[in-house]
Amino acid sequence: PEILNNCSQLSSLPLQILLYVNGVYYIFYFLATLMMIVYKSQVFSYPNDFLAPDLLMLFIMAILEVPRLYFGSKGNLTEEEAPLGLSLVLTLGSVVLAVYFLAWQTYVLRADVILTALLLSTYGLESGLKVMAIAAFVS
Amino acid sequence: VTELCVCDLLVAQCDVNCCCDPDCSAAEFSLFTTCSVPIVVGDSRLCSQKAAVYSLDVEANPPEMIFKLIDQVNPSVFCIHATNYKQALSFSSPKMPTSENFDQLLKEFGSAAFSAGPHGWDVNTDRQNPSDANETYRYEYGVPIQTVDAFLRLPSPVVSSWCSDANPAGFLVNQITKCTRSVSVKNCGDIPAVSMLFYINSSILAVSKCLEFIFQVNITVQSIAVQSPDGMRTLLGGDDVLRIPEVLEGLCINIVLGVSYHITYTEAGEIIEAAAAFVLGTINEEALSIQQSFEISFTQANTEPVPLSGNPGYVTGLPIRAGYRPQGYPFPVEMTTNKFSQLTLLQSTSSQDCLAAQGARTPILFGYNMVAGCTLRITAAMKCQPLAQTLLDLLKGQSFPQYVASFGNSQAQDVLDWVPITHLHISEQVRMYNTFQSSCQIPVSLEIEVKWTKYGSLVNPQARIVNVTATITTTTLKQLPSGRERTIPVMSSVVFTDVSSPAVPGYKAWPTINVKLPFDFFFPFV
Repeated sequence: PEILNNCSQLSSLPLQILLYVNGVYYIFYFLATLMMIVYKSQVFSYPNDFLAPDLLMLFIMAILEVPRLYFGSKGNLTEEEAPLGLSLVLTLGSVVLAVYFLAWQTYVLRADVILTALLLSTYGLESGLKVMAIAAFVS
Repeated sequence: VTELCVCDLLVAQCDVNCCCDPDCSAAEFSLFTTCSVPIVVGDSRLCSQKAAVYSLDVEANPPEMIFKLIDQVNPSVFCIHATNYKQALSFSSPKMPTSENFDQLLKEFGSAAFSAGPHGWDVNTDRQNPSDANETYRYEYGVPIQTVDAFLRLPSPVVSSWCSDANPAGFLVNQITKCTRSVSVKNCGDIPAVSMLFYINSSILAVSKCLEFIFQVNITVQSIAVQSPDGMRTLLGGDDVLRIPEVLEGLCINIVLGVSYHITYTEAGEIIEAAAAFVLGTINEEALSIQQSFEISFTQANTEPVPLSGNPGYVTGLPIRAGYRPQGYPFPVEMTTNKFSQLTLLQSTSSQDCLAAQGARTPILFGYNMVAGCTLRITAAMKCQPLAQTLLDLLKGQSFPQYVASFGNSQAQDVLDWVPITHLHISEQVRMYNTFQSSCQIPVSLEIEVKWTKYGSLVNPQARIVNVTATITTTTLKQLPSGRERTIPVMSSVVFTDVSSPAVPGYKAWPTINVKLPFDFFFPFV
């Protein structure tokens, strides 16, 4: 058997799987939340003053997600702490936005609660794994 | 939800089959058969909410009402878990108007459709204020004419025919009203509305351009006509002394029977002159009410009021305009039209005596054929020539015009727009043996025939007068033996004939093929 290198692999496989799953799940979450906002605006009384912040938050979250996942993946694969650290900071922002969608939205439906809770748990798990990976890379 | 009960309609009484009614006692519950309101919930879209359930337990003896407060769970995945928008789930209560927000509320809800709200349309409010400061305060069409105290009143009938004094006269709104007022000889001095003073007392506020002062226009008395009990009106000339109702020998005189206001205004909307013409009458002891008629008309300053009878074609029902050309000059001069040169017809009176009702004439209205007549008593003592002249004056009126306007709006300057009146004479000859005997011809009938045609486009034809013929029929008056008298009928009529030729359809020309050889077709040979 050939040994390609002497070092053991430091990249965390569960983190990578989670990042990939997170990406797919987030696309689904974004579309579902958008559809539900449209549904809420039709069924309930949803004045423009309340609709605009909700949509804004959703799009900011989407924009935040892309670099977060990219840096997380890059940092994990290249075994560098800096991108992982940046990704961790961005995850914090995403968590705040997810809490907004869980509690501070204009209308929080049960489906919203389920989806966002799932997203938050994913974020939490990811953060934990990232911290462990950074610890592994640093040392 | 425990306090909500939609079936509790009777206050302090038990409603039948209403399980949530707090006024019901256990004994009354036992008489119920079912619960009309089994469950009371709030908004069912919420994920979990309290519900009050009422049911009747018919098994127990006596039946009792069971009340349960449960948590109802909405199984749908789209139920509202929480909401941060307070007004989402209930109707908003309308704002109470206070002095601060009244203007904004009026702007939002005051018109037929609600405007966008307090945020929208801020631009308009800024634009309105500066223009108000510069706008001159003037009268506009329909605005009530203000006097020193309240408004210029034009009493008119409201609901029934009794006079109501609360009808204001509107600016530039010509009105004619007639109403009944109850007056008797006993209280004729107490009722203000039958006295001249009531109508000219307060002066009209005529607003001027500069807002510094508003000057008043006094209502002047233009003329007073006194109407006798049998209807004859006499114009009192000279003095316009105020005449107040007074009781004289059992009659009450100087009662106002009619007022005609004439207001002169300028183009800027100010009133510069106001005049009132009165008709005063008398009532006797048997009279319980009088009929008053009021009229108001507006004239622009420096213009002659010539009401058009149509624009341009005559309108049915409006008087025919006529005039006469001043004599002397052969070249065309303007027509003169004034009130006295209208085409008029003899007016029948109730007494049917020609000589009694002299001067009463009715204007000829376009399109209305009229016939009028009276009877004349001829005695032997009447001479032929003055009688013939009297009858001619009676038939034709004081000033019979020479020309009639062909259009309703013909101007006096356009001489060609005026149609001359053709006069015809027909004499009924009575065959007599001795034709040389000088016979006395007196006119007994005047027939005016007005021929008119439709002029203009097919969809909107205008009436235009093309020919007016006045035919006077005379008859021989036989000499009467002395002491005898005869009555002859005198008749006057006007007939309108439509002589319009039917419209000829005009067809478009057939398309032709315009083929011509070019002029140099046969070049070498031509």
